[in-house]
Amino acid sequence: MTYSIMTCGVGGQGLMLVSNIIGLACAEFGFKIRTAETHGLAQRSGSTYTHIRVSTDETIYSPLIPYGEADVLLSLEAIEALRNIEFLKRDGIIILNDYIWHPVQSTFERVKNPETKYISSNDILSQLKKITDNIYTIKAIDLANEAGNPLTSNVVLLGALAKINGFPITIEQLKKIVPLVVPEKAIDANLKALTLGYESI
Amino acid sequence: MLSDVITETKNQAFLFCNEAIVRGALESDVKVVAFYPGSPISEVLDTFFQISDKFGIKMEVATNEKVALEIVAGASMGGQRSLTAMKSVGLNVASDTFFSLGYTGVNKGCVIVFADDPYCHSSQSEEDGRFFGPNAYIPMLEPTDPVEAKAMVKEAFEISEKFKTLVLIRTTTRINHQSTIVPLEPLNRTPFEKKSYRAFNMKFSTVGSKARELKLLMLERIKKIEEEFNESPLNTIEIGSSDIGIIVSGISYNYVKEAAFKLNKNPSILKLGTTYPLPKKKIKDFIKDLKKVVIVEELSPYLELNIKALAKEVNPALEIIGKESGAFSEAWEYNVPIVIKALRNVFELKLELEYDEILAYANNLKSILPVRIPVFCPGCPHRATFWALQRAITGKSEKLAVMNDIGCYSMLLLNKDIYSKMHPDDLLLAMGATLGVSSGISLSSEEKVISLIGDSTFFHAGLPGMINISNNNEDVIVLILDNSVTAMTGQQPNAGTGYGPGGKPKNKIAIEKVLEGMGFQNIIIINPFDTKKAIAPLKKALDDTGPTIIISRGPCALWNDRNKRRRGEKIQPFYVDFSLCRKCHTCMRDFYCPAISMESEYKEYTDDAGKKWTGFSSHISNELCDGCGVCSIVCPYTNHEARSEKDVIKPYSKQREVRHDL
Repeated sequence: MTYSIMTCGVGGQGLMLVSNIIGLACAEFGFKIRTAETHGLAQRSGSTYTHIRVSTDETIYSPLIPYGEADVLLSLEAIEALRNIEFLKRDGIIILNDYIWHPVQSTFERVKNPETKYISSNDILSQLKKITDNIYTIKAIDLANEAGNPLTSNVVLLGALAKINGFPITIEQLKKIVPLVVPEKAIDANLKALTLGYESI
Repeated sequence: MLSDVITETKNQAFLFCNEAIVRGALESDVKVVAFYPGSPISEVLDTFFQISDKFGIKMEVATNEKVALEIVAGASMGGQRSLTAMKSVGLNVASDTFFSLGYTGVNKGCVIVFADDPYCHSSQSEEDGRFFGPNAYIPMLEPTDPVEAKAMVKEAFEISEKFKTLVLIRTTTRINHQSTIVPLEPLNRTPFEKKSYRAFNMKFSTVGSKARELKLLMLERIKKIEEEFNESPLNTIEIGSSDIGIIVSGISYNYVKEAAFKLNKNPSILKLGTTYPLPKKKIKDFIKDLKKVVIVEELSPYLELNIKALAKEVNPALEIIGKESGAFSEAWEYNVPIVIKALRNVFELKLELEYDEILAYANNLKSILPVRIPVFCPGCPHRATFWALQRAITGKSEKLAVMNDIGCYSMLLLNKDIYSKMHPDDLLLAMGATLGVSSGISLSSEEKVISLIGDSTFFHAGLPGMINISNNNEDVIVLILDNSVTAMTGQQPNAGTGYGPGGKPKNKIAIEKVLEGMGFQNIIIINPFDTKKAIAPLKKALDDTGPTIIISRGPCALWNDRNKRRRGEKIQPFYVDFSLCRKCHTCMRDFYCPAISMESEYKEYTDDAGKKWTGFSSHISNELCDGCGVCSIVCPYTNHEARSEKDVIKPYSKQREVRHDL
């Protein structure tokens, strides 16, 4: 079986680390994997995504997940979750960081007309719920701070992913990979972030 | 991961394709590499940058792709295996030398990896670089994924040495930006040794009668390569249906395999790994008994037109399904749904596909979404420069023409609403094109011309255009946005940065000295972070006649932050004092920093004169703020020269806090 995870966020949130940890775990523990990543403009604050497809047995061909076939949509930012909703299958699982990074273009709209509002978590959730009820909203930044490093919210969400039935890689396997990819002084915080994420759902 | 690119103990590793390409070159004992960065291939440069010293590889970050190609061609002539990688529009820049190298050939293995960018993820055109191969008689290989990319680098070196020719490896963004588990072979590196150019006794001159002679040899060579490619394991046939076949190369192979699996069909598949010269015999054998053949390739009908010609010889009745039949488009990237739709019709399946419905439903849900267009990072010097420029051109906007170029400042075009006064969509063509076009506009139009160019683009393709402006005394303002690095592709150093691979010092070229040498007399350097003081010189430039140069010099924020972290310096964010904010929105209206957003609760402030200021304050995210402080200069109620508690925008020093929602 091929298990497909669509991950997304805003440039600067550390999305690449999530697919790197999953990929290294696959190489280490005998799974197959193929990813399609966004690189290119080296900026902060643009939309980013990574398609991740993992399999225990069958060959994975397309790096891109076909529309409506992702088992999980993991988003580091709420607006970007909705931006990539076409990839999630009906009743699929959403792991959502409860965080909105408002684009500067929205602020510009509000300057022109201060009565317009920013999009809210509830606005987004009500749309996501039209695709699935299986939404785990996680205050990843709080948990990252609790873990001792505000930059580990990506790893918090990865911990939550490890709890999802069907995702082939276990939390123990991820714990073995994390120390290989994060700076030495950040290992403890990242391992704690992984555990806090796992326990959050 | 870098340690996996250079591992000598593992037999497989999870690698990004651009890393796999580097691994393939390492396993091939490459000795000289040279690059100019460009997405989607920049990480080949980035990876070599960190490891070239360790392996005794001679590496240069070249001024442009043409120079990079010349470096590696020269190294090959001098007896060293060499490799360059560039984006397809980079091969346009290198193409003059490239075509001549087709005639002269090379000595030791010499490989060019070039990446096309279907869908223009990060390029100005969707050009199909495959036509470079046949046009220059240079063989071309096409991998379908990182595993093949690595293997083909090794194969390319072998072909290059056997036939004394350059070899192209053509990828596309979806190949370059893919990661998977790649089998590794031993590195078997040998020490670097200089060779004797004289001892090789090889000549590489082509012109006139010599070129005519070489042309015949080149034709002979490519014929021999075609014979070899007819037997090459890089072209594989998967036997399936005897009636319906698919011919495919590159990333589309992956979509075809998944689509066939989903449709539960088993067509015969010819996967072409050598797309120039095409293995014509193998293709003819494959198509001669088929009823239908489907050609799946992104962009131009390169395979399709060739296969049509071959079908005329061996199977004139063959139904050929591709772009000309309307099954596929020449525009943009493909994916599994696109291929499934085409194959469903080929196999005459009465199958309801939900992809269109899913997309339509999703687009409907997304109608509430705000756009998120790439903008200048917090702390970017360009934002500060453009703030000053917008002030300087006030009242003169309609008398200006603004010519843009390739670099981070290109993003003006994407944000044309917020930068509307600057005419951000007047022009954007290609590296360095702004200068020549500015000369032309200045010759023919009444408007004053402002030409924008970055430091890396200045060195890459700006020099001839600059000399032309000086030589002809054109009435053009050239605004050089000098952030010290090639920022957009990931902050690689350029000729003006001062260091090279491994961080070793390099001769730093000062742009102003180059310009003085060119004969420019009106050269002004401004500091974009001292934004208000930058307005006056910009204003003056608008009133001057003749060539005027403004160099706006301030470091790229991402690059600068990395350097600060390395030195152990902290980034000091700023914050908005809500109790003093007048809600005038100047910072948000004019500055467009992603770290600044608007509060959603009404706040009120009463000043000393008893005047009430109510509304939504601005808010600086201390998580995103880079501490450039320019917003505090922009704020009319902050005195950045003598900071005090009365200021609205001030340096922030408390414990970092993160807000979930505004």
